[in-house]
Amino acid sequence: MSGRVIVITSGKGGVGKTTASANIGVALANTGASVALVDMDIGLRNLDILMGLENRVVYNLVDVIEGRCKLRQALVKDKRVPNLSLLPAAQTRDKTAVNAEQMKTLCEELSTLFDFVVVDSPAGIESGFQNAIAGAHEAIVICTPEMSAVRDADRIIGLLEACKDQITEYRLVINRIRPHMVKNADMMSVDDVLEILSVKLLGVVPEDEEIITSTNRGEPVSGTDNTRSGLAFRNIARRLRGDDVPLMDLDLPTTGWMNRIVKFFAPNTARV
Amino acid sequence: MSLFNWLFRVDDAASGIANRNTKNSAQVTAKDRMRNMLTHDRLELPAGRLQILEEELIAVVSRYFDLDKETTHFDLQQFDRKAALIANFRLIRSKC
Repeated sequence: MSGRVIVITSGKGGVGKTTASANIGVALANTGASVALVDMDIGLRNLDILMGLENRVVYNLVDVIEGRCKLRQALVKDKRVPNLSLLPAAQTRDKTAVNAEQMKTLCEELSTLFDFVVVDSPAGIESGFQNAIAGAHEAIVICTPEMSAVRDADRIIGLLEACKDQITEYRLVINRIRPHMVKNADMMSVDDVLEILSVKLLGVVPEDEEIITSTNRGEPVSGTDNTRSGLAFRNIARRLRGDDVPLMDLDLPTTGWMNRIVKFFAPNTARV
Repeated sequence: MSLFNWLFRVDDAASGIANRNTKNSAQVTAKDRMRNMLTHDRLELPAGRLQILEEELIAVVSRYFDLDKETTHFDLQQFDRKAALIANFRLIRSKC
């Protein structure tokens, strides 16, 4: 078996790479596929927190590469979805602890064990990024509809274009869109960003406070059914598996006056 | 904000309509700046270099033609991630 190795990257930090990695990993695993999540942000480990697995980390990616443990020993099985495993980054090392060749070998080995290998890339375009893409066949570029994020995404797309032979497909996820601001012409729309970047769209994720709550709980939103961001990530996972899923209607919760009434009287519980 | 306004976002809706009617919305500004910036980024061309090229091209064309320099238009445009240099020289008469 040879699984798909997908790198999640953005250039700019703070646009939601790790959140997207965790959620896409969980959503893919919930479709029945076996998934390995690889945290490549060596020295700034966070994916374990988002997954709620930080207390179960024993070995890490650098331990595997340096031969201190077997790959299987370093993989942390998810507590909710059994076919999902995390390969944590090292927290006390830095990006120079691994090289591209080692990453390629590691990704190859993981792809013999899992249907999907989802690699969470660090921010930036230096060695950490180069290592993260070294073993990937596909890429997901995350950006928010802000100018700095779009500019950095464009740079990343240029770099991915340059290794076309290895990374045969890349698609864009527009994260943290605020439908209300787009409506008021205060912010670039999904179409604006797509037109500027001339790139294929994989999905759109609305800004959602539930992301913060879910991070605090260590339970990615895509694992529960009642959040809009979670639905968006599940749709992305289905598209990755080849399903033709239309973009969700982003307008629903901000314009519905019934919603406002419900929210007004029960601000903490309403989630329509 | 009154409850009515809050429920129906009347103020926002009104400002949205106002914004859409102008070419100065933050959305349009961002998109225009973005397009311009990325065209230069992709070419690895500092924006100031284009200004120099423009002056040099005008000087060359001016050797052959009298130009209407006011309406001469010089622009970098993007077609599917590839840039095109669009120069529009208004010619008055030949100098030959």
